[in-house]
Amino acid sequence: MRSIDIHAHLTPQCFWRATEDGGDWHTLRREQDANGRPVLVSGTGRGQLPPKASWTPEQRMADMDSLGVDVHVVSPFGGFYNYDMDTDVTVATSRECNDEISQMMQSWPERFSGLATLPMQDVPAAIAELERVMVNLGFKGAMIDDKINGKLLDEPEFLPFWKAAEQLGAVILFHQSGDTIVDARIKRYHLPNSVGNLADRTLTFASLVMGGVMDACPDLRICLSHGGGYACYGAGRMDRGWERTPESQRVAADPPSQYLSRFYYDCIVYTEESLRFLIDSVGIDRVVFGTDWPYDMAQDWPVSWILAMDSLTQDEKDAILWKNLETLLGI
Amino acid sequence: MRHIDVHTHLAPQILWKAFANGENWHGMRHEVQDDLEFIVGNGKRILINSPKIRYTPEERLADMDAEGTDVQVVSIHTPLFPYHWETAAAIKASQEVNDEIAGMTRKWPDRFAGLATLPVQDVDAAIAELERAVKVLGLKGAELDMVVNGQNWDEPHFLPLFKAAEELDALLFFHPQPQDNIMALERTLRYGIPNSVGVVLEDALLVATLIFSGVLDECPNLRVCVAHGGGGACFGMGRLDHGWQVRSEARVNIQKPPSSYQKQIYYDFLTSSEAGLRFLIDSVGIDRVVIGSDWPFVGWDPSPGGWLESLESLSQEEKEKISWRNLETLLGI
Repeated sequence: MRSIDIHAHLTPQCFWRATEDGGDWHTLRREQDANGRPVLVSGTGRGQLPPKASWTPEQRMADMDSLGVDVHVVSPFGGFYNYDMDTDVTVATSRECNDEISQMMQSWPERFSGLATLPMQDVPAAIAELERVMVNLGFKGAMIDDKINGKLLDEPEFLPFWKAAEQLGAVILFHQSGDTIVDARIKRYHLPNSVGNLADRTLTFASLVMGGVMDACPDLRICLSHGGGYACYGAGRMDRGWERTPESQRVAADPPSQYLSRFYYDCIVYTEESLRFLIDSVGIDRVVFGTDWPYDMAQDWPVSWILAMDSLTQDEKDAILWKNLETLLGI
Repeated sequence: MRHIDVHTHLAPQILWKAFANGENWHGMRHEVQDDLEFIVGNGKRILINSPKIRYTPEERLADMDAEGTDVQVVSIHTPLFPYHWETAAAIKASQEVNDEIAGMTRKWPDRFAGLATLPVQDVDAAIAELERAVKVLGLKGAELDMVVNGQNWDEPHFLPLFKAAEELDALLFFHPQPQDNIMALERTLRYGIPNSVGVVLEDALLVATLIFSGVLDECPNLRVCVAHGGGGACFGMGRLDHGWQVRSEARVNIQKPPSSYQKQIYYDFLTSSEAGLRFLIDSVGIDRVVIGSDWPFVGWDPSPGGWLESLESLSQEEKEKISWRNLETLLGI
């Protein structure tokens, strides 16, 4: 048995080094909050950096060992998207982040694989960097936000990106950063995260499906983090909406629920009942292991959590923990 | 089997009568454009997207007979919520709507029950109208939006309304406005997503906001029902629990995990899939799920009750609870 984690973030060492003495890294800075904890300052955005975020690859591997995780498919955390910056800056930060992941992959090929960060505000630049990491560096794909400077990914300007990702066989992992749609309504009780992440992911599923991206790119490989949000639970209502839309106004060829099994989903749904529902909705070959390392929304013992489930067969546990990602990523 | 439907909308006859006379109703007027009809006014342009929303009570009864619904619990078509109107007009309009619904329940007491419209921009006035609606008019509670002019229901100044509703044994039925105050509108207007997806997100956030607000501790006997099966709330409840464990800001008002509150809430069965309904029942308990058809905006095959009865994963006892027993007990009808 193995375990391969597709949802494992990196705050790159190059950032920590550059900001060690109060310096900046491509305009990104590091501050301390009232409790002395490090905060990433990027433009107007501020992101908490958890204690493990500064860990070296060696420290990370020791933690993976204790968790029973064999492989991290490493992605820079969303605070490094930098979509609102000048493209030149974002190209530079993306390349440096991706090069650091590449070094981890070269040094410990059995333990690390990679998902890149891309300058999505400039589609040709994003395609160029995706090509570079896929062809030259052996990456498996990239992680991108649910919205690019407010735009959903079904906007026509992104279609060349989807075509390129399809052609390269890249896996695109969706993960929010900055405000979710809940932020504009309520910021209390951690709801921008605990409801907002799921809300944003649901909109990503709906817009890619109903906007025709999944029809235009039949071999596209997309993974929705946080179990795809409410997508599998809400697909029935999406179907009713699709059915009520006059045929001449429909873009998607089939009802949205028919596309559920076209996506991959990480298993971060917190309850066995919800995981069972997800599996039964999308198919066991579409659910993959993810942990959200090293953030506080991660489960404490994610491998044990899966292994202890009564409602999953051993084959299903193997599929989630490693087999599906072994096949998808070729690792 | 008896069928009681908690989720049925009404655009009042008083509005249509005003339009027929070429008049406005509290600033709302009738417009026709390119064969489409709209109710326009107070900053809104509401598409009339079902001819049945004009039905008289008699026509409504014929439709209920055709679909086998015994009782409709009637509440206003939510784009007509008057929260953003001038307060005096909102109070007057609420009274008129509630009087009309009460008239239906008096004339056909076996067929109609009612939920009031409240001018919640003025909490005192809303409490007064809820009291009148329940004590004088015999309505069963009120229908409420997800948000009040940008304010969430966890704001402390709404607590007296919840206390009053608890005291009155009034049911509060929460329902979003599919074309307005929808978070998803910020992202996309395309493909009907604000309604088909946005509503699910609104209902999920409303359940979460009510739970984290502490209102369900402050008012342990409060009767709340959330439309559309509570959206994705039950499916996403585990993430709320985890957030509550790891973030102190999630624990400011509640000392128990969020999931422990979800059985204090009622949900209509409008999950749009059998698997979704089964999951809801298993999450919140069979005593908390009731028929809600979204009349007249959802086409049912063959009917709301017929759909329920066709489901293979529910026992006969479960179907009876959803179909009528739970609402009979809750509303005394």
